[in-house]
Amino acid sequence: MRNSFKNPQRVIGCFALVVPGRSLLFTFAPGCLLVCCRLLCGSEPVDFQRDVGPILQQRCLSCHNDRDHRGGLSLQSAEMAGRGGESGAVIEPGDAESSYLLDAVIPSGGMAEMPKGEAPLGIAEVETIRRWIASGAVWPTGLELEPPVLWSLRPLIRPDVPADIAGTAEFPLRNSIDSFAAARYRDAELQSAPQADRSTLIRRLYLDITGLPPSPVAVEAFVANDHPTAYEHLVDKLLESPHYGERWGRYWLDLARYADSEGYLGDNLRPHAWVYREWVIDAINRDLPFDQFSLEQLAGDLLEKPTLEQRIATGFHRNTLRNTEAGVDLELYRTKEIIDRVNTTGMVWLGLTLGCAECHDHKNDPISQTEFYRLFAFFNNADEVGISVNRPWETAEYEQGMLFWQPAWDDILSQLGNYEQQELSDDQRSAIAKALAGDSKLVDWKSIVDLYQTKKPGWDDVKKKLDACLTSKPAAPATKSRAFAKRINDRRDTFVHIRGIYSRHGEKVQPDTPAMLPDLIHRAEQPDRLDLARWLFHKDNPLTGRVSVNQIWQRLFGQGLVSTPNDFGNKGARPTHPQLLDWLATEYRRLGWSRKAMIRLIVKSSMYRLASAKNSVPTQQNVNNLLLWRQNSYRVDAEIVRDLHLSASGLLDRTIGRRGVRPPLPDFVAEVGRSVKWPVSKGSERYRRGMYILFKRTVPFPMLMTFDAPDSAISCSQRERSNTPLQALTLLNDPEFYECARILASSMIEQHPNDPSAAIDGIYLTCLGRRPVDQERSFLMSAWRDLMRINKIESLTAKSTVENVDEEILSEQPRLASMIAVTRIVMNLDEFITRD
Amino acid sequence: MSLTKTIYDPDELAALNRRRFFATGASGLGTLALASLLNEDGVCSAAVPPQIAHFAPRAKRCIYLFMEGGPSQMDLFDPKPKLNELDGQSMPESILREIKFAFIQKDSARLMGSPRTFRRYGECGMHLSDLLPHLSSCVDDIALVRSMHGEQFNHLPGQLMMLSGSALQGWPTLGSWLNYGLGSESNNLPSYVVLATLGRGLPGGASSWSSGFLPSQYAGTLFRNQGSPVLNLANPPGISRPVQARSLQAINDLNRLRLNVVGNPEVASRIQAYELAFRMQQTAPELLDLSGESMMTLDEYGVTREEASDKSGFFGSYARNCLLARRMIERGVRFVTLFLSTWDHHSNLDNGLKRNTQISDQPVAALLKDLKRRGLLDETLVVWGGEFGRTPLGENRANYKKITGRDHHPYSFSMWLAGGGVKGGQVIGETDEIGWSVAKDPVHVHDMHATILHLFGLDHKRLTYRFQGRDFRLTDVSGNVVKQLVENLS
Repeated sequence: MRNSFKNPQRVIGCFALVVPGRSLLFTFAPGCLLVCCRLLCGSEPVDFQRDVGPILQQRCLSCHNDRDHRGGLSLQSAEMAGRGGESGAVIEPGDAESSYLLDAVIPSGGMAEMPKGEAPLGIAEVETIRRWIASGAVWPTGLELEPPVLWSLRPLIRPDVPADIAGTAEFPLRNSIDSFAAARYRDAELQSAPQADRSTLIRRLYLDITGLPPSPVAVEAFVANDHPTAYEHLVDKLLESPHYGERWGRYWLDLARYADSEGYLGDNLRPHAWVYREWVIDAINRDLPFDQFSLEQLAGDLLEKPTLEQRIATGFHRNTLRNTEAGVDLELYRTKEIIDRVNTTGMVWLGLTLGCAECHDHKNDPISQTEFYRLFAFFNNADEVGISVNRPWETAEYEQGMLFWQPAWDDILSQLGNYEQQELSDDQRSAIAKALAGDSKLVDWKSIVDLYQTKKPGWDDVKKKLDACLTSKPAAPATKSRAFAKRINDRRDTFVHIRGIYSRHGEKVQPDTPAMLPDLIHRAEQPDRLDLARWLFHKDNPLTGRVSVNQIWQRLFGQGLVSTPNDFGNKGARPTHPQLLDWLATEYRRLGWSRKAMIRLIVKSSMYRLASAKNSVPTQQNVNNLLLWRQNSYRVDAEIVRDLHLSASGLLDRTIGRRGVRPPLPDFVAEVGRSVKWPVSKGSERYRRGMYILFKRTVPFPMLMTFDAPDSAISCSQRERSNTPLQALTLLNDPEFYECARILASSMIEQHPNDPSAAIDGIYLTCLGRRPVDQERSFLMSAWRDLMRINKIESLTAKSTVENVDEEILSEQPRLASMIAVTRIVMNLDEFITRD
Repeated sequence: MSLTKTIYDPDELAALNRRRFFATGASGLGTLALASLLNEDGVCSAAVPPQIAHFAPRAKRCIYLFMEGGPSQMDLFDPKPKLNELDGQSMPESILREIKFAFIQKDSARLMGSPRTFRRYGECGMHLSDLLPHLSSCVDDIALVRSMHGEQFNHLPGQLMMLSGSALQGWPTLGSWLNYGLGSESNNLPSYVVLATLGRGLPGGASSWSSGFLPSQYAGTLFRNQGSPVLNLANPPGISRPVQARSLQAINDLNRLRLNVVGNPEVASRIQAYELAFRMQQTAPELLDLSGESMMTLDEYGVTREEASDKSGFFGSYARNCLLARRMIERGVRFVTLFLSTWDHHSNLDNGLKRNTQISDQPVAALLKDLKRRGLLDETLVVWGGEFGRTPLGENRANYKKITGRDHHPYSFSMWLAGGGVKGGQVIGETDEIGWSVAKDPVHVHDMHATILHLFGLDHKRLTYRFQGRDFRLTDVSGNVVKQLVENLS
């Protein structure tokens, strides 16, 4: 019955016996449609290699290949196809209607059984298969199809910059990015949006590079500056700002699942986690090239004579959740931490969802379970250590504290001296000196109390004062950064965990990288993390460049060229601009992996400078923006929402790095966690940037979570951008935000005591980086007048119930209250928290 | 259908957004259209919910009474005369070998009987402990599962397993899945609300109502049962209601102006969010206002109970939470979790259980009766349970002088369900003579989740979310619907 498979009756023409998959993909894809049209209309005989092979290859083989055998079926060769799958034969040569293959692909109601979870085959494609089977399902002898090679695994070759394209006044070609973009606009017949106006551009640049808004002075100066390189100068200036490291550092911390506590029950603080955060900010500010930046984080401890900073960098993989609940299975959770390290490494550098291969071979991408545990092996012999760090500011802080404390202590000691017994021996004196040396938090009174006249009046008092003073003694810095170190003793063997169960050992494995990617080069017989880190950046590794440049793009357009930044696999998105992505990926390497250079390149393009309004080109309002004919407009991240408020009000404490802070938090929120103490930070510390808010995993700061900050349980490559009433309530009523409105309003009243209209202009300029248009001003003036009326009535009511009210305050009060309300209105506008 | 028309038709937009905002996205073309519109650029997130229910739902809302710490099943729900007989004897080593405990020293561990007395109640004749006098009058509405089992023998992993189907932090909780799958029915309140009566806090804190990898709008919202119910619901001091109203008018006028200029649909969403927020400010406080409830109702729940024997305020607070749960359900909230902490009785088990049942037995029974009386029980699923049960062995932790409690035991424990399509008046499953392991009809945590989703008309295998390249489910890779639990299903 299946003779046709064994003895092909017709073998057409001459062709290579094994057609390489790549050439098939490239040659046949465009041709296919034409051929299919001809097949539909005419009666030309079906040719397997030309007509059927490409369909099978592109639509079936990613699952039904010799490796994956999904449903027991492979369609790679005539022999395998002839064997059928779990449900029997799939092809009945000569009888299309009885063939399961045809049955499975015929769509009904827009859906077909196969390809599973994907768009069904087109009518022409189905027809081709029908005719092929009907005509005997001829499959030339020896012809083997290859599974399609995933786009992201193809070698990275620098594409030529389109040359046949010219810029326009609206869209000048400022660099190669623009040539790629313009070619796409032309092919898709899209009109690009005009370039954004200067006040939009400066705010966009400030927010994208530093996460802070431009000051009114900066805006006015930039808008008025028509020097041809004003824009470039601004870009350079912003990239040199230390706030750049904060903004881009926070992006990295999302990937690093950074938090200040362990997670799980207890959720103990990691009091010195900030050292790693500070390292990230600093490394980005000094533009540590991305390959070195990565190397130090994955394997800084394995470098020759690593510096302290390089060892601190290994804190990247110490940010995993840790379960320390009493009685837990510690080995299980150690395993879970390593699995997270493998998954995170995969997502951050390779855009691969390795986690899918923890329990079984990856179902969509060519990664086997064994390969997963080979990667696991790289991390299985990293010891977790603490390394002493002493930052100058800590010492300065300590010395400052001691400067206050020491005199008080000396004073009490001299008071205590008045109570000493007469004629003490040298031994006794040294016992006193020892007990009062102040190196412990408690005085060992028992050992010395006999040496004092405790009956003398005032003794108890002095003793109590001394105890209190001692407990308030500043602690000397003893910071320990969480890091990796090579495990020397009791090195662990790594096994495949059968079905992902850590205690069920399968085959023993050695550290190695997946076979679908270039070979690992290792220095010693046993490969280590340093080899792995270098392998990521090997010139033949097709993934790292594409993945990492996409991460940068994503932060400058609100969306990556690949919209699934952590999944460049079969189930991930395809690049919207494949040529541009590949060009940028090669360019990133050419620029020495300089993050700053790459950002500079992108933001200098015309593409980056496009206006973001959906109706920028009125005729194109209903066209989606996948091809980026305009910039995107989107709400800023949670921390930046807060930074904008603090910055606009002038309350912002711009200290960079250092330890986390605790802004006020209502008790009922803190109380849901186990014994959570939340002492509010003192002084201006509570006004530090949102990225420094202490992140306790079981009690995450509500304002941050309401605006979609990641929960830090798992590496986050892309945040949600929700838009909810709880956000509105936060912006309207959060006491911190209200305070910001109050402070800004007060300063505007001071600057423009009798001119609410000028004050409104000032508020707009401060918050939105532009002056209001006439209609906006008139809306706000009308609101101002109404609010004045309401507040006057309310203050009169208050006056009638309170005696002896200061008349002056009464006349001032409604003005201030109304200006606060007006400021609060502007701080609640969509535009304030949106990056246009 | 023209997408442009959809988005700029203010009435339809308002209706769509109402459903979308408190986290959700209901079913139907409208929401999907909006979602795809917002999503087309990929810059605004709007998770597309998975269509309509897979089959006819029995339950529309759920009140989950979560008993944090692990209540002792053989002292409450599962009488074990044989265990009492064997009190003080050791367990065969063969049984203990493979077992993991948090604290018990296996060598010297001894079985510990229960001092409780059990009686049969109701028409169905269900056995319950003397610690549950009020619940015993509701047994004909209850399906008691005595054969629950799981693997997690520590609190947080167990709680996460029970709440989210995974022992690891970072997965969405049941309430998030349901809202993701079904959308919200409430115009003025969040769709997933949490109330807590806590001692020293919850092991998982806010991860107990996290949306995990689902979009954050599906997370539970923590409510207070007094004062201002939600964080930032009240105006800041100095902002009166007229000032707030005038401010909102200006905010929305200016946002509308911007919408006309730029045309970005997120601005329209922002306008809707502010309108909803303002409405929530007006209506949410009413939720806590119990002045409309009759004295009889307040007494029945025990809101007015004297706190004489207890300074913690737990008695009134838990009763109040039970009553508030009913009020939320009436206002369209889909999922309410009531935490009661803690049942973790490693020692002083007898007194601890007495206290916890005194706090909870009366209000829980009142809730069931009240729901039934108001015709709400048919569509409201009530679930009672903790993260695991407790050992038939007495706990002999190294530093314990006397043995007065039990250790964690996930290998067999009890839970009960009522309403929402659950067949009441029955006991499902059995444990062995000493309550060590399940002897008949085992129900794994995943099975329970599959069943709960089924009651809501959702197929646990089809309710999925793509994350990190994988389609995740509440039930991970297992779970079977417990048909016996569901009314009229065989």
